[in-house]
Amino acid sequence: MCSGFSAFRANRILLAATLVCLLTPGLAFSQHGAFDLDGKPANPFDAASGKIVVLVFLRRDCPVSSRYAAVIQQISTQHERDASFWLVFPDKAETQQTIEKYLREYAFHLPALRDPEHALVKLAQVQITPEVAVFNRNHQLIYHGRIDNLYLDLGRSRPAATTHELADALDATLAGKMPATNQVRGVGCYISDLQ
Amino acid sequence: MKRWPRTLAWSLALIAATGAAGALFAKPPALSASAAPDLPVTFNRDIAPIIFRSCSSCHHPGEAGPFPLLTYSDVKKHARQIADVTQARTMPPWLPDPQPLKFDDELRLPHSQIDLIQRWVAQGAVEGDPADLPPQPKFVEGWRLGTPDLILTAPKPLVLPPEGTDTYWNFIFRLPIEQTRWMKAIEIHPGDKRYVHHANILVDRGASSRQREAEPGAGFGGMEIRIESQVFDPDSHLLFWKPGTVPYLEPDGMALRLDKGTDLILNTHMQPSGKPEVIQPSIGLYFTPQPATKFPMLLQLEDDAKLDIPPGQKDFLVTDQFTLPVDVDLLAIYPHAHYLGKDIQASATLPDGTSKALIHIPLWNLSWQAVYRYAEPVFLPKGTIVTLRYVYDNSADNPLNPNHPPVRVRSGNRSSDEMCHLWLQVLPVHNDAAQGDPRMLLQKALARHNIEKNPADFEAHYNLAAMLQAANKFEDAIREYDSALHLRPNDTAANNAMGAALLASGQPKTAVAYLSRALKTRPDYFSARYNLGNALAAQEDFAGAAEQFRLALQLQPDDADAEANLGSALAELGRFSEARAHFEHALQLNPNHALAKENLRALERATSQ
Repeated sequence: MCSGFSAFRANRILLAATLVCLLTPGLAFSQHGAFDLDGKPANPFDAASGKIVVLVFLRRDCPVSSRYAAVIQQISTQHERDASFWLVFPDKAETQQTIEKYLREYAFHLPALRDPEHALVKLAQVQITPEVAVFNRNHQLIYHGRIDNLYLDLGRSRPAATTHELADALDATLAGKMPATNQVRGVGCYISDLQ
Repeated sequence: MKRWPRTLAWSLALIAATGAAGALFAKPPALSASAAPDLPVTFNRDIAPIIFRSCSSCHHPGEAGPFPLLTYSDVKKHARQIADVTQARTMPPWLPDPQPLKFDDELRLPHSQIDLIQRWVAQGAVEGDPADLPPQPKFVEGWRLGTPDLILTAPKPLVLPPEGTDTYWNFIFRLPIEQTRWMKAIEIHPGDKRYVHHANILVDRGASSRQREAEPGAGFGGMEIRIESQVFDPDSHLLFWKPGTVPYLEPDGMALRLDKGTDLILNTHMQPSGKPEVIQPSIGLYFTPQPATKFPMLLQLEDDAKLDIPPGQKDFLVTDQFTLPVDVDLLAIYPHAHYLGKDIQASATLPDGTSKALIHIPLWNLSWQAVYRYAEPVFLPKGTIVTLRYVYDNSADNPLNPNHPPVRVRSGNRSSDEMCHLWLQVLPVHNDAAQGDPRMLLQKALARHNIEKNPADFEAHYNLAAMLQAANKFEDAIREYDSALHLRPNDTAANNAMGAALLASGQPKTAVAYLSRALKTRPDYFSARYNLGNALAAQEDFAGAAEQFRLALQLQPDDADAEANLGSALAELGRFSEARAHFEHALQLNPNHALAKENLRALERATSQ
C-alpha cells in the first residue's frame, strides 16, 4: 500500500501514513511508474514538496484534450507559485519525439510524463482524456475529473464553459477547503481503450 | 461516384446474407450469421465491415476524423468511445429521424450494428481470425473526381485562433473565366478538414460581396451573408461541404451557369483546435460542354419576423406554410437554425389530403447541419402545402444557449441571434411557355406569401417587383418598388430598379431622381450609370447621357451596350466620327450587336448625304 503514490481519501490515519510514505518516495513506483521524456523514472510529487500537484491526462489522438491546450496553460500560469502542473500521456505508444512535437505544436510549457503502465492513471482515478487530478499540499487527491463543462458530449460543445471544476478545486485548496465536488466525469477519450 | 466504391467483396456478401436471412427473421438480422447472440463478436468478422463502411471514409489521414479508423489497433484504441458514440447516435453524424422518404448517403447505423459494437466491447474487443478481415477500403487521394478543370485557392489564408468560440469566415473566389462555363460538379477542399465544420458556396453574380473585404482577397467575417442580385437568376444549386462529403455530380441537364465576373463565396464554420491553424481552402470545378436544360430553384421558407424568443422559454414554436403554385419535384432540403433550435420539422400536405414527412430532426445541432438530398425526387403537385415547424429552447437548460443567463433573442445574422430557414431545391415539372418561367411563378408566390406574413419585408416587396417587372407589368412593379423604398429609402438596388421600371413605363424624368439617388449612395454602380444615361437620352439630354455612358464605361470598359449607347448619344450631338469609333468598338466586343450595326449603317447614310 505504501507506494508513495497511493491516493488516500481524507482519513486521518491513512493521511499520516501518506506523509510518512512521501518521505521515502518512489521505490515501488519506479518499476512500473511514469517516465520523463528522457526515459528516466519520474515522480511528480518529489519535485513538488509542499506544493499542490495537478496531473493533466492527455491523448494526442483525442481532439477534445488538444482543444484544452490554451486553457490548461493559462490556469497553470495563474497558479505557478502554488501548484506544479504535469502533463501525463497514458498511451504506451508515445515516444519522447511524438510528445515533444505535440508540446511545441500546442505551445505547452509544462513538463510532460509518459505513464505507459497507468500508474498515475490509477493514482489519479481518471478514466478519460482530458481529465485532471488535483492533489493538495499534503498530496491528497482532492479532485479528479473534467477541467470544465465546455463539452456536453463528443458531438456538442457549449459556446463557453459555465462551470470551471479545475479552477474551483485549486481555489478551494488554496483557501484551505475541500472543493464543493471531488469528481465529475469528463468528456473525451477513454484511457482504458489504450490497454 | 457518390460514395466510396461499394464493389468490395464484403459489401456484396453482406447484401446477400441479409437478403437471405431477412426472409427468416422478423427482426433484421445482425451483420453476419456468425454474430448470433451466443457467438463471440470479433473485429475481423463483425466490426471491421461496419467501421469500413460507416466510419473510415472520414476517419483516415487527411480527412475530417481526428484519428484514423482503418485497422484493428486504430479501432481498439477507441473501442469504448465508439461504443458510446454509436449508441448515443452522435456518430456517425446523422441528424434526421428515419422516415419513408429516403435521403442519399444516409449515415444512420441500424440497431443491429450498434448492438454488435456494444457486445464486441463488452466481450473485450477481440481481434478474431485474420482470414475474416475484409479488405481495407481504398480512398482516392486529392481530388476525388479526377483533376478538376479549374482549381482555385483562396488568395489569403485565415489563421484560426487556438481557442475561443466558433469562427465564421467567408473566402471569395474570383473566377478567372472569360466566357460562360457550365459547372457539373464542384469539390470543396475547405482547408484542414479537422477544423472546418461545414462550408457553403454562394454564387455572387454581381460582385456584391467584394465590397465587404478590407482589401481584395482578404475575405470577410460573418455567419450569414446576403447576396444582392440585379437580375432574376435564382441560384439553383446547394453547394455544400461537411465532413465526409463526396463531391456531387449534378444530374444531366442541371449544370450551374458561371459567367465572367461571377464570384463564388465559400462560407465556412470553424472550431478551434487548441493551436493556431492556417486555413486556406481551395475548390475544384468540373465543367461540362452541355448547357443546362433543367432549371431548379431554391425556395426559402422562413419566418424570422416571428423570432422574438423570451428568455427562459423552452418551447418557442415557429411555423410557416407555403402553397406551391406549380408542380415540382423536390430534390433536396436544407434546414437552418442557430443554437436555440431544438426540434426541426418540415412536411408536405398534398391536395388529396395525404401528408409526407420531408424531414424531422428531433435534436438540432448546428455543428452537424447538412444539405439532405432525396434518394428519389419527391413529386409535389400544385396546391401542396409545405409546412415548417421549428421549436426553439431559450432556457438555461439548453446547454448550447449562447447567452448565459438567457436573454431575449431575435432573428439576425450573428451566431447569438436566431434563424428560421428552410431551403427547398425544387425542379418545376412542367414548363408551359404560356405560363411563363415557372420559377418566376414560384418566386412571385413566395414574395406575396412573405408580404402577407410581414408587410415590412423589404426583400419580398423588392423580389415581387422584380418579378412583375420581368413580366412587363411596370405599373404593378413600380407600386411594389415604392413599398420597398418606403421601408429602405436609400437602398441602392431598389432605387436603381425603380428607375429602370419608370424608364420602361415611359417616365424618364421621374426615373432620373431615383437613379441619381442610387448613384449618390454608390457612385461606382455601373447599372445605375447606364440607366441614368438612358433616362437622360429619353429626355433628349444627349450631352448628359453621353457623360453618364462614359462614366459607365470607366467602370466596365467591355460593355458593348454602353459603347453602342455612347455612340448613339454622340451621333445625336452630331459628333459623327467619335460616334463611329464607339459603334465599331461595340462591334468588336460583340460582332452581333444589332443596335451598333444599325446605327453604324444610319451613320454612313447620314454622313454620305
